[in-house]
Amino acid sequence: MNAAPGPSSSPSLSALADPPPRMMDSAAMDYFLIELVQTLSQSAKVADARAKKVEQEMIDAGLLPPPPPPPQVLKGRKELQRESTVPTLDKTPAEEEEESVRARLEAIGLHVGANITERLCHDRLGFSDTLDTIKFICKELWSTCWDKQVDNLRTNHRGVYVLQDNSFKPIARISSWESRADATRRAKLVESPLTLVDSDSDSAVQYVAMSAGTLRGSLARLGLQATIIPEINLPQCTFQVKLPKGA
Amino acid sequence: MPPQLGLAAVAFVSAQNHPILVRALLTPTDDLLKFHYLAHTSLDVIDERIAAAPKNPESYLGFLYAMEEVAVYGYITPLKVKIILALTLTDAVVRDADVIAMFKAFHLAYYRSVANPFLKLHTPLDTPSEHSTLLLAGSAQWKGFRRRVDEVARAVGALPVSTS
Repeated sequence: MNAAPGPSSSPSLSALADPPPRMMDSAAMDYFLIELVQTLSQSAKVADARAKKVEQEMIDAGLLPPPPPPPQVLKGRKELQRESTVPTLDKTPAEEEEESVRARLEAIGLHVGANITERLCHDRLGFSDTLDTIKFICKELWSTCWDKQVDNLRTNHRGVYVLQDNSFKPIARISSWESRADATRRAKLVESPLTLVDSDSDSAVQYVAMSAGTLRGSLARLGLQATIIPEINLPQCTFQVKLPKGA
Repeated sequence: MPPQLGLAAVAFVSAQNHPILVRALLTPTDDLLKFHYLAHTSLDVIDERIAAAPKNPESYLGFLYAMEEVAVYGYITPLKVKIILALTLTDAVVRDADVIAMFKAFHLAYYRSVANPFLKLHTPLDTPSEHSTLLLAGSAQWKGFRRRVDEVARAVGALPVSTS
């Protein structure tokens, strides 16, 4: 049983148990995330165009009733499955595109959040209750992903938590073409940030989509099914976390 | 120096008590059924231990019980995945630190395999079906998990380095 490490260098147990943390350049990560959103929008456009083409062919062949089509279940490819779960309301094409990009980003975030949480929990002890898990998220998850902790946590003690970050990293440096007028207009209309129809908060929504997904994935891996509603108030961002009753 | 422990088997059980992976390490041709049974009984003991401690801050559950030449140790991750180790009973002293190191290595192996983004390639996007995807990690299709578990076992010294 005295197996000295042979030619295929088997790592020692301590190296496997507690590997040195892998680091990543944070500037590179920021650029990557920005480009991620852009690239996914392009890719989503291509996927949607492809799906529409198939849809059109099916309509032409008489397999589908002509538009408005009911939410159909197109089997086969993953992108089509994804689209059919988004109900086809009367949306403008631009909104549909945004919706599909947001769905993709959120799915990526789900995966990333779940696994980062798993890794962060490697050395720590269990959670005593829901508030403890939320606090873990506010402190450790936030500082791992976005270099700071949540600035304000509020709860109504009935399953709704509000996490407020005064300078949320992904959108802290967003700027837009219609710069200053937009900024002041936004400052005045602070009560209803999401109803503004300007490019700035629209694009901010996309950049926040992945973070919302990260939150949701992290909570899901910890066993809490939550709905996350982000509200953007550049550069401040607030996440409303709704947990099911009894949590 | 690899500790002189005989690692007979390791079992991973999910939060809903479904088996993710059961692997026999000393004699890979041994019948797995025995270790499934071992894992089942360990689950009961683990549940008792958790119920006993109202807030369970400790991950390492320690020695659970001993049965016909294996000693069983348990560990529960903060995300409620249980890892069960069966060590062959020896006369040597088994240090807690060694066992904890083994558990951490197995936890990492599990984490790396579950982090595979291609596990969910064929399931629809927005079903938050965490559970079924975790189960997938141990299925026969994804050899990475087994490979990593074998690697840990090799590091412990249980498997001779040259075999697969």
